[in-house]
Amino acid sequence: MTDDDPLIARVAAELRRPRSPGPGFDGRVMAAVRAVPAPLPARAWAWLREPRVLALSPLGGAAIAACLAVLAAAGVWGARRGSRDGSGAPAVAARAAAPAAPSVVTFVLVAPQASTVALAGDFDGWDGARLPMRREAAGIWTVDVPLTPGRYDYAFVVDGRRFVADPAAPRALGDDFGRPSSVVTVGSGAPGAAGGSL
Amino acid sequence: MNARLLGVALVLAAARPATAVAQVERLAGRVDDATRAAVAAVVDSAREAGVPAEPLVNKALEGASKGADGARIVAAVHALAGDLGRARSALGPGASPAELVAGGAAVRAGVRGAVLEELRARYPRESLMVPLAVMADLVARGVPADTAARSVLVLMREGVRDAELVAFRQSVERDIALGAPAGGAAAVRLDGALPGTTSTTPAAPRKP
Repeated sequence: MTDDDPLIARVAAELRRPRSPGPGFDGRVMAAVRAVPAPLPARAWAWLREPRVLALSPLGGAAIAACLAVLAAAGVWGARRGSRDGSGAPAVAARAAAPAAPSVVTFVLVAPQASTVALAGDFDGWDGARLPMRREAAGIWTVDVPLTPGRYDYAFVVDGRRFVADPAAPRALGDDFGRPSSVVTVGSGAPGAAGGSL
Repeated sequence: MNARLLGVALVLAAARPATAVAQVERLAGRVDDATRAAVAAVVDSAREAGVPAEPLVNKALEGASKGADGARIVAAVHALAGDLGRARSALGPGASPAELVAGGAAVRAGVRGAVLEELRARYPRESLMVPLAVMADLVARGVPADTAARSVLVLMREGVRDAELVAFRQSVERDIALGAPAGGAAAVRLDGALPGTTSTTPAAPRKP
């Protein structure tokens, strides 16, 4: 069968002939489209954006204002109670996690005989060279390190080879490598200090 | 699955291990290849259990810096992964990495998982990093684990702040340094912090 077949040619010509959908076609299509329910988020957004008029009596308005005032007063009272330090018993909500802002911790070691002292720990990949300590008077070595809240193991590296735990800080539990470390815990508060003397 | 979902899934699949891979890359040049591969395996396994990679890699770096051999480094990393995993199980999937590190130290110190679970149940939205660290530090100074846990729990029930918990720990440390028995020092300081309460532990005799 080919396009040259007269029967096929007539059917094709009939199918290609433009047809008018009629005068009410557009209206019928739009009605059918509107009948399809919109997705839930779109309906919710449209509902939220639709302006409304609320009827409120003076008495009802006064009641709502009073409720809002009571809630605000309760919030202020609770906040004050939480920050009070009468018997050292602030609300436990004060413990809520704070943004991890770094605090500067000063590490100190008294080592008059040392030629060099560096700090190594979880905060610098136990590098041993990135945090050299400054020698102050009387063999006091110090370095300031900004640390975000957390618990860090560390040690002093004396003369480039000897690992020394901080005598003034808690020891890290479980001496995994035969050379003890110390621990510093940084909370979300004021700057801290860690250190002791050899 | 349409193309967009497939793309998101591929990105997530690629990004998730990337953090752990980046952490393990920190070991390059610090440990030999075999040790690095073994640590990477522990990190991968731990990551599937919700344990962060960074503290594990830090432990390996500590071992490398202190001159430990590969086997010892891997053993230490493996042990830490276990502690962190137990802390994670007790504290729940919402625990922060800092809480897990402190919780892992508490677990290693001998604090029972039930104590961590109780803490999380009581304070579901607060950071437990400092309380857990104080528990571990007290045990490190010789305070029995149960005494350390009870002290912190009681103080928290009274609503003390993190700074006050740290001050409590420092007071106990001073007493121990002066010669008081560790458990007794914690009990006495707890009594002092809680007027009107009586400890079940007798007061610690002080050396002159």
